[in-house]
Amino acid sequence: MQVSKPRRSGFEERFAALIREEITRRRLMRRGAAGALSVSAMAYLAACGEDELSGGQQEEAPTIKKGPISKTLNFSNWPLYIDIDDKSKKRPTLEKFKRRYGTTVKYTEEINDNVEFFGKVRQEYEQGSSGGRDIHVVTDWLCARMLRLGFVQKFDKSEMPNASKNLEDSLASPDFDPNREHSMPWQSGQVLIGYRRDRTGGRLTSVNDLFDPKFKGKVTFLSEMRDTVAAVLLADGIEPENATKDQALTAIEKIEKAARDGQIRRFTGNEYIKDLPKGDSIAVLGWSGDFVQLTADNPNVAYSVPEEGFAIFTDSMQIPVGAPNAYTAQKMIDFVYDPEIQAAITAYVNYVPPVKGTKEVLLEQDPEIAENELIFPDLSKAHSLKNYPPAEEREVEEAFQRAIGA
Amino acid sequence: MTRARRSLLPYALLAPGLLWLLVFFAIPLYYMAEISLKEGTIETGYQFTWHFETYVDAISNYDEQLIRSFWYAGLATLIAFLIGFPLAYAIAFRGGKYRNALLLIVILPFFITYLVRTLSWQTILDDEGWIVDSLKTVGLIGDEGRLLATPAAVVAGITYNFLPFMILPLYAALERIDPRMLEAAYDLYAKRRDVVLRVVIPTAMPGIVAGVLLTFIPAAGDFVNAELLGTPQTSMIGNVIQSRYLELTDYPTAAALSFILMLAILLLVLAYARFAGTEQLTGAEAR
Repeated sequence: MQVSKPRRSGFEERFAALIREEITRRRLMRRGAAGALSVSAMAYLAACGEDELSGGQQEEAPTIKKGPISKTLNFSNWPLYIDIDDKSKKRPTLEKFKRRYGTTVKYTEEINDNVEFFGKVRQEYEQGSSGGRDIHVVTDWLCARMLRLGFVQKFDKSEMPNASKNLEDSLASPDFDPNREHSMPWQSGQVLIGYRRDRTGGRLTSVNDLFDPKFKGKVTFLSEMRDTVAAVLLADGIEPENATKDQALTAIEKIEKAARDGQIRRFTGNEYIKDLPKGDSIAVLGWSGDFVQLTADNPNVAYSVPEEGFAIFTDSMQIPVGAPNAYTAQKMIDFVYDPEIQAAITAYVNYVPPVKGTKEVLLEQDPEIAENELIFPDLSKAHSLKNYPPAEEREVEEAFQRAIGA
Repeated sequence: MTRARRSLLPYALLAPGLLWLLVFFAIPLYYMAEISLKEGTIETGYQFTWHFETYVDAISNYDEQLIRSFWYAGLATLIAFLIGFPLAYAIAFRGGKYRNALLLIVILPFFITYLVRTLSWQTILDDEGWIVDSLKTVGLIGDEGRLLATPAAVVAGITYNFLPFMILPLYAALERIDPRMLEAAYDLYAKRRDVVLRVVIPTAMPGIVAGVLLTFIPAAGDFVNAELLGTPQTSMIGNVIQSRYLELTDYPTAAALSFILMLAILLLVLAYARFAGTEQLTGAEAR
C-alpha cells in the first residue's frame, strides 16, 4: 500500500525506519542480535531432549479424510502476513471464512524464523502431535524437511477445486513435492537488486553488477543462503533448480572471495532498508516486499529485476500430522486460492500471490497494485535453489556460513 | 538457639544463592557439556558418543575468530582503561559535590537498551555522517575511507558498551584512597609520576583487576558489535556460536565453542590473577 505519508522530521524518519525494520515480516530477527536471545531458550530445550530418534527416513504421509467442518481452526503464521482491518483490528479474510463455514479461526503469529520454529515443534511433531496446530506456514526448504520426516499430512486434492485450478504454474511442481500434495504456497517474494540511482551512475541490470569494483565496500548480499546463492548462480548462467552441489559451492566461493576482498560490505537481513537511504550501501540484494515501501519513500532508491532471472522464495501452508481439524484446514487452504479472497491478502501484504486470477481481480479493485511488478512479476523468470539431500544441504549451508564470516 | 541450629544457619542463608547457581549455572553447564559431546543433526536427533573430535574441529576451524575475539576484547579493555582511569580519578578526587551526578552520567547509557545503543553507533559512524565527513576534510581518512564496517568500529563499539564496567570499579577503588596518603607522598618528595605509579595505582589495584575482568570477559564473548558494526572479516567467536546455534542448528559445535571460550577466558584470568595477585582478585587487600 503506497499511502502517501505526512512529512516527518529527520529524526522521526529515522525512528520510523527503525521501527519498520523491526516489524517488516522476516528477517531482522533472523541474524539480528535481539532474536538470538529469545530463540535460544527454545532451541536449547529442543536440543536437550530426546537422544534416540527414528527420524531421517521418509514415511508415507496419511491422506486427509472427509469429516465434519469444525467449530475452530488453529492457524500458525508469520507476523504481518495477512490482511488486517486497521479500524476493527480483525482479519477480514478470516471473518469471510467464518461467514462461509461457521468456523472461528484462531490465528497465531508465532513463526519468526524457520529454524527456530522447527526447533520448537520438532519433538511434538515427532510424536505425532501438532501441538494443536492445524496449519503452519514455513519456507519451502523447511516444507521439504517436514515432508521428509513425515511430519505433515497429504492433501486430498479432489476436495480442493480452487487450489487445483488456480495455483501458479511456476510454483506447482517443486522438486520436493512435485504435485503440491503436501504443501500449498501462501505467498512468495522476489530477490531483486536495489540500488541508489544517484550513486551508481546508471541502471544495474545483473547480479554480476554487484561484483563491479566500482562499488567496492558499498555492496550487501542477503544472509539467507538460498536467496543469495540462487541469485549468484543465475548471474553465472546456471539454473539454480538444476545446480549441482559443486556448482553451488563454486558460487559460494565467488561470494566468499568478494567478501574477503572487501567488495561485499556485509550480509544482511532487511537492514538495507536503512543502509540504502543513508548511503552506507549503494547496491544490494533485497526482497521485493521491502522495495514497495523503500522506493516509495526514497526517490533515489531504485530496484531492478535481474535480466538473467530472479530468485524467488515461497512460504507454504502445510497440515501437520495430528492436526485436530485437518479437514477444515484443507478447506481453509482451498479458500485462500479463491482469487477474490487472495486479492484482499495481496493488497495488504504486498508479496507475490501464488493464485492465478488475483491480478485480474485487483485490476478492477486497485489497479496500482495490479500493475506493480514487485507484486506481479513475470513468474516464468523465477528460480529457486534445488533442495539437496540433507548431508549435501548441510555442506552447502556450512560453506555459506563460513563465507559470511561465521 | 541450639548449637546444631546455629551451625545450620549459614547454610540456610546460603541456600537461595546456591539454588540459583545450581538451577541457572550448574545444570545448564552440565547439559551444555553433554550436548558438546553428542553427534548428529537436528533432523536425526543427537546421540551421546563422547565425540571429542567436535572440540578439535571447532578449534581448527575457528582459531581465526577465537584469536580475533581476544585481540579485540584486549584492545577494547586497554582503551577502556586509558579512558576510564583518568575519568574515575577525576570524579573521585575532583568531583566534589558533583560526584554523584557525574557517576549518574557514566551509567546513564544503561538506561537505554544495549541493542539500540549499538544501532545508534551505525548512525554516528555513517559513511555520509558528519564524523566521517569531518575526518575526511582534515585528511585523517582517505576519500574512499569509512568508519562503519571496519575493525575500528567494532573495537570502538565494544569499548563504548563496556566502558562503565571499567569506570565503576575503578571509581570505587580510587574513592577509598585517603588523600592524606598522596599528601604524604608529596611530602616525601615524590614526583607526580611516582605518586601515580607507586601510590595510586597499587592502592587501586583491586579496582583495576575487577574493571579489567568485568570488561574483558563479556567483551570476548560479545557478538552484537561485530554483527552490527563489522563485516564478515571482523566476526568474533560469539558470531560463530550464534550462527552454529541458530542458522545451522549444529548444537554440539556451538556448545563445544562455548566451552572453549569459557576455558580460554578462565586460563587467561588465572594467568592474570597470578600476575596481579589473587588477594587483589578477590578484593581482599593486603594492607
